[in-house]
Amino acid sequence: MGARYLTRRLLSAVATIAMIVLINFVLFRAMPGSPERMLLGRLPGVTQEVLEGTRERWGLDKPLFPDQFVAYIGATLQGDLGFSYTEAGSTVTEVLLSRLGPTLLLFGLGELVAIALGLALGAYSGWKRGGLVDHVGNAISLFLYSTPYFLLGMALLVTFATALGWFPTFGMVTPGRQYTDVLDHFGDIARHLALPLATVSLGLIGQYAILMRSSILDTLTEDYVTTARAKGLPEGRILRSHALPNALLPTVSLVAINIGYVVAGAITVEVVFNWPGLGTLTVEALSARDYPVLQGVFLLLSVTVVLANLAADLIYGVLDPRVRT
Amino acid sequence: MRSRLGVRLSRFIAIAALAAVGLVPGVARAQADDLVLTVGTDQNLRVLNPWFSVTVADYEIFQIQYDLLVSFGIDLQPAPGFADEWSSSDDGMTHNFHIREGMLWSDGEPATCADVEYTFEFVLEAVNSDRGFVGSGYLEPYLTNTGLESVECEDEHNLVAHTAHPSTLLTQAYIPILPEHIWSQYSMDEIGRRNDPNHFANDQFPVVGTGPYVAAAWERGSFIRMERNENYWGTPGVPDAIQFQNFAGADTMDQALRRGEIDYTGGLTADLFDALDGVENIQTAEGYSNGYTMLSFNTRATQPGYNGSTSALEDPAFRDALGFAIDRQALVDRALNGHGVAGLTHVPPYHANWHVEPDNPRDFNIDTANQRLDAAGYSRGADGRRVDKEGQPIEIRITWPDSEEVAPTVAQFIEGWWEQIGIGVDAYVTEEATLIDDLLGPEYGDQYQADWDANIWGWVGDPDPTSLLSLFTQDQIPAGINDCFYSDDRYDELFQEQLEATSEDARLAIIDEMQQRFYDAACYHVLYYDSVLHAMRTDKFTNWTNQPPVGGTPIFGYGYSGYLAIQDATAQPSPGPAETTDPGATAGPATPAPSGAPTGSAGGDSTPLIIGAIALIAVIAGGFWFMRRRGAAVEEE
Repeated sequence: MGARYLTRRLLSAVATIAMIVLINFVLFRAMPGSPERMLLGRLPGVTQEVLEGTRERWGLDKPLFPDQFVAYIGATLQGDLGFSYTEAGSTVTEVLLSRLGPTLLLFGLGELVAIALGLALGAYSGWKRGGLVDHVGNAISLFLYSTPYFLLGMALLVTFATALGWFPTFGMVTPGRQYTDVLDHFGDIARHLALPLATVSLGLIGQYAILMRSSILDTLTEDYVTTARAKGLPEGRILRSHALPNALLPTVSLVAINIGYVVAGAITVEVVFNWPGLGTLTVEALSARDYPVLQGVFLLLSVTVVLANLAADLIYGVLDPRVRT
Repeated sequence: MRSRLGVRLSRFIAIAALAAVGLVPGVARAQADDLVLTVGTDQNLRVLNPWFSVTVADYEIFQIQYDLLVSFGIDLQPAPGFADEWSSSDDGMTHNFHIREGMLWSDGEPATCADVEYTFEFVLEAVNSDRGFVGSGYLEPYLTNTGLESVECEDEHNLVAHTAHPSTLLTQAYIPILPEHIWSQYSMDEIGRRNDPNHFANDQFPVVGTGPYVAAAWERGSFIRMERNENYWGTPGVPDAIQFQNFAGADTMDQALRRGEIDYTGGLTADLFDALDGVENIQTAEGYSNGYTMLSFNTRATQPGYNGSTSALEDPAFRDALGFAIDRQALVDRALNGHGVAGLTHVPPYHANWHVEPDNPRDFNIDTANQRLDAAGYSRGADGRRVDKEGQPIEIRITWPDSEEVAPTVAQFIEGWWEQIGIGVDAYVTEEATLIDDLLGPEYGDQYQADWDANIWGWVGDPDPTSLLSLFTQDQIPAGINDCFYSDDRYDELFQEQLEATSEDARLAIIDEMQQRFYDAACYHVLYYDSVLHAMRTDKFTNWTNQPPVGGTPIFGYGYSGYLAIQDATAQPSPGPAETTDPGATAGPATPAPSGAPTGSAGGDSTPLIIGAIALIAVIAGGFWFMRRRGAAVEEE
């Protein structure tokens, strides 16, 4: 891959991130009202001195430009995202890191499972177009694609957790449980992970299956497939080594784009299952008006999307030589 | 290619098999014999340093692991806490507290007068410092309201406190007594400033306290586990541990309660609460709210900087008349599903000793409202709409913050009633942070412009009515708390008098007059006292005891008496002479096993999980296999 391609992509990503940081600052400062009044304003006994002192402590009494802006840029560059308003004593970075793991686990695994199953289903449907698997698979994919995450999640929760009792109804671990060893701990997490994972995977499978199916259908009509058939290659090998790699290209883009939407879905799935990840953190921070945490979440998610798209671009460049100009 | 696929596949199966193996022991193992009370909350625990407490969970946790100097009994009367006896001088300005002998902190250190002295002096130092407060600034007023000047220890077990004026409120001081041997190592800044590099968050586990349970583990955003304090000075509670589990939504909390995964929920919505009625093994508790929801008026409407839409808002006769056109009982029945009490004065019935009905309640009567408006000089125009003294048709803007879920319904009803008396209504929601600012007038700060007519919001109080009464003193106007701008010198005098009252009867008379004066001014129309809705399971713990007995809830009250009252539901009563009525006797090792029905935490059936895992592996493997098989089949052709 050429250095110019790489450089262009990297610069573009950096520029986007810079824009995000700027918007992040302006957006949250532009919101009406003041955080200290929001948190403490209607508590009897809290005097105006207290409110002013809090405001001063949070640096909100300084002018927006340049003081607050410069402070913000400087801090962000050093990785200091400030202190949470509501979780006193914790930095935003600490709060984010403590909730990042569960989200990565749930959505990382969910994506993997969805990709594996969705691609397999889609490839088979496309290859055997018109067959039973195609019709049934397509119907299911469309249904899952159009169902919102939270609806799917609630349905699974009510059926398998509440009614049948096969799985716990909330959380990532059984609260306060003492574990004998790593496997024990692992097993507890797995039990709690089952339903949310099913929700995320099912929600994503539909998209991947549909996309893969139409990709495969496209490649079937390509010249090189006809050539390969003419050469007498077995169908299986044509599918695996000629059609699939080319059909995979759109999927790579979709996965990258999905990172952004998946994060939005994270909020609904995590709230339904009380999964202690970034989604529930966002909901809590929203209702508590914890602006530093919200800023941190916004920054983290935006940067993740940009990096995912950068990665997709680079992978695309590896996979498809036509792009690497 | 085929071989690569094969390698990939077998690697995948190996990983999945490892996972499956991991699942089996994890699920089949049952929890150790701990009897755990699991409480669901929808308000997250945010801090363990009590000075920063804001949410209900923050307060509940600190009042379990720390003793107040004087605690609250089952009917909210002062009960032994850190001190077991107390008395005040005749002039009410010198107060003696005897600290219980032989008391230990959970780490074994002696708990003595020095701890009280440290805690109270910490507050005094904070209040007198340049900064004027510590942490969130919410706890200090409990001491400053008493006029506390100094505390000193005569010896290890005797504390003397001096107040600047007579006060009975030291026994109500909602300040946790902290262990001096731990907290004195940190400076005021380290404790009170959250961004101090050495900020003391009090999160070294287990936390050291004198209460029956102390915090032992905290998964932020998930749960906090409190373990039994073996050195607790009183009769131990029945649960070995208490866990507070955080929930993002009331629906999931309700499901978890029904499944037996949690034993108690606070904060249910009305329909979830009603649906639990009659469910086996579940008991509900509807508690009086220590607070109310009100319709508040901008009584300075046409003064510069207050921007009310009509001068009528400044007229008490106008506001009074409007009160006759609000059917508060209907609001309770229709907006709250009956879970509340129609509103009257600003001291809720929760305060059984202090709530006094007004002499002249405004009963719902449209005719009376019309007559009073006519008499006050607000005649109707040709279109039926009343006009104010300047000839402008009257349209009242009613707004509420987005956090008030019932307010839109309330506003709709009010709009309907007021149409019958010729008053227009413009009802709309305002984002909370914006609304807070809209309510603030120039007295808060020169650049502030109020902009509102009426708002629907609410207040919550303390065991003592002082905080609810304090809202309407004039110094609370620049503080942005007295939002209707109630200005009454006599009310301010009475407030100070009731702080210094030396007998309950005297204090009641003063508080009665305060309620009547505020009611007459019609600065607020208190709409209702909305109930708190809790539910609990009875198959694991019984003897849930409300605090107070009438109109209270077992926990999330004041002090920790509810936690000590509950009993093990499955314990067999011990036969013969050993049986006593002392709740403490049935706790402890004499209680025969088994303890409690299996809950979710004891591990459910593992078989479906194994089946599910194998099915998952099979599907994924099947996906790969199908692709391979396609090729193989064709090759054979």
